Amino acid sequence: MMEAWKYDKAADIGLAPGERVKSVRRESGLVATVVHRVWWAFVRAYLRLWHRVRIEGRENLPLDVPFVIVANHSSHLDVLVLAAFLPGRLRDRVFPIAAGDVFFSRLSVGWFAALCLNALPIWRKKAGAHALADLRERLVEDRCGYVLFPEGSRARDGKLADFKPGLGMLVAGTNVPVIPCHLQGAFEAMPPHAMFPRPRKLVLRVGKPLDCSQLSNDRAGWMGITQSARASVVELSTQS
Amino acid sequence: MNTMDRLFGWRHALDNPVSLGVVCAVAGVLLISPLLILVITRATSAKPEFRKELWDRYKSWLVIAPAIAVPILAGAAWTIAAVTILGLLCYAEFARATGLFREKLLSALVVLGILAMNFAALDNWYALFMALFPLTIGLIVVGTLAKDKPAGYIQRVALAILGFALFGGALAHLSFFANDANYRPILLMLFLCVELNDIFAFCVGKTLGKHKLAPNTSPGKTIEGSIGALVLTTALATALGHFVFEGTAFDSWPLLILLGVLISVVGQLGDLTLSSIKRDLGIKDMAATIPGHGGVLDRFNSMLLVAPAVFHLAHYVLPAVGHGQAQRIITGG
Repeated sequence: MMEAWKYDKAADIGLAPGERVKSVRRESGLVATVVHRVWWAFVRAYLRLWHRVRIEGRENLPLDVPFVIVANHSSHLDVLVLAAFLPGRLRDRVFPIAAGDVFFSRLSVGWFAALCLNALPIWRKKAGAHALADLRERLVEDRCGYVLFPEGSRARDGKLADFKPGLGMLVAGTNVPVIPCHLQGAFEAMPPHAMFPRPRKLVLRVGKPLDCSQLSNDRAGWMGITQSARASVVELSTQS
Repeated sequence: MNTMDRLFGWRHALDNPVSLGVVCAVAGVLLISPLLILVITRATSAKPEFRKELWDRYKSWLVIAPAIAVPILAGAAWTIAAVTILGLLCYAEFARATGLFREKLLSALVVLGILAMNFAALDNWYALFMALFPLTIGLIVVGTLAKDKPAGYIQRVALAILGFALFGGALAHLSFFANDANYRPILLMLFLCVELNDIFAFCVGKTLGKHKLAPNTSPGKTIEGSIGALVLTTALATALGHFVFEGTAFDSWPLLILLGVLISVVGQLGDLTLSSIKRDLGIKDMAATIPGHGGVLDRFNSMLLVAPAVFHLAHYVLPAVGHGQAQRIITGG
């Protein structure tokens, strides 16, 4: 379907540069697009050489937006592996959801998160319904992809914690598929306290997409999605 | 003048008395402005918002004025670099406001065109500089044909051409001015007159303005303000121009008055051009980069069309802009 031209200003227009970095409405310009491409090409090469990444279930990786990729979280490497092997043409539309207090409270880190990772912030202290509604609106209306860690933070012992219901609040009742993934080896390669990654092998397992369109956008629906996503990640973790 | 001296010779920054005069006058105004603002806000018991806006604008000028003057004084290479950055910033704001920024390939072609024209200016290769305007437009027109996506073709290509024409084609003439041995006073005079032209129109309009100039485009502008700016800017440009162009064919009263009228009228038209764009898009400012002013483009819109207009007048009247300077300093030839 071809679309005629519309004057459609950037959703983040009118924000001062420092505010734009932190905005969940941020849209990539030419500079950001070029930086994303270069950064992710570098990350792919690094993951292949240093960690010899193997991907199982590659056919389940999405070819188009929208989608939400969820996975276990035990290392800063996780987001790199999960986002690096998505199609390059989606680069500007794939947003890792990152903790605002870690990645967006200082401007220098915020610029890195925005320009390189293309991350959007979620503020954990006040991640109420309002913040999630903004993210949900963008996911559905703007058609984009999120990489999300529903545990809410890196597992300090490497074990899978409970998933937070916020995942369900993003996708319940929408046509956005949730793609469960399990990443093995990232905790051993770079545990939360480590400064530098060790050259350990990583295995990424990509599961079948979960359909959330039939689930109601209420507490029962959110819990249903959250539980089935976690069950899929657990199941992937037992494959070998 | 030796090419390296022209490009990087900061020691010559204030050789010309006009440069020295303009720099001292602007620095002086910026020094006494806080006092003026205090007096005005106290005497008229101004509202806090108005007071804040005045201070915001003042603080922004403390950054903008050096950002204009320092590269010009430092050397032609810095001047051209600064104009290039200015053009790219203006295009970025234009592209984000119109939605053109989502067309990455078209945007990349416009950026390429802006860079190429400024490179030709740096090289002092006039033939290439002139050739790049139609050639870049040709490139923009054919550049996205391979995508085989005709829906919206005319609108997005026309937008890209408008963006390139304003921020590359027109603005890069400022860069080419830097090839003149006498470029510092010329550019300082231009910036001073264009910025003051805006301020004259604003001040005269506020005090004497009754009849609206173009209420649909820009409701704040008045005919009185426009005429006031025309008179004051012409007087200023004529007087300054006499010293800038002393001893050249330009130094005759009719030509200098024409120069002043051109700066004022074209400057105001450039302002209205951007107002039309903003009104059409339904936004007040192009961005929020400069507190109290809006975007970079909101501040420099009046310069966009003045640059080529004054350049070609000078190029016609003088033997040439950049006369006697080494040509094609990078590409050779």
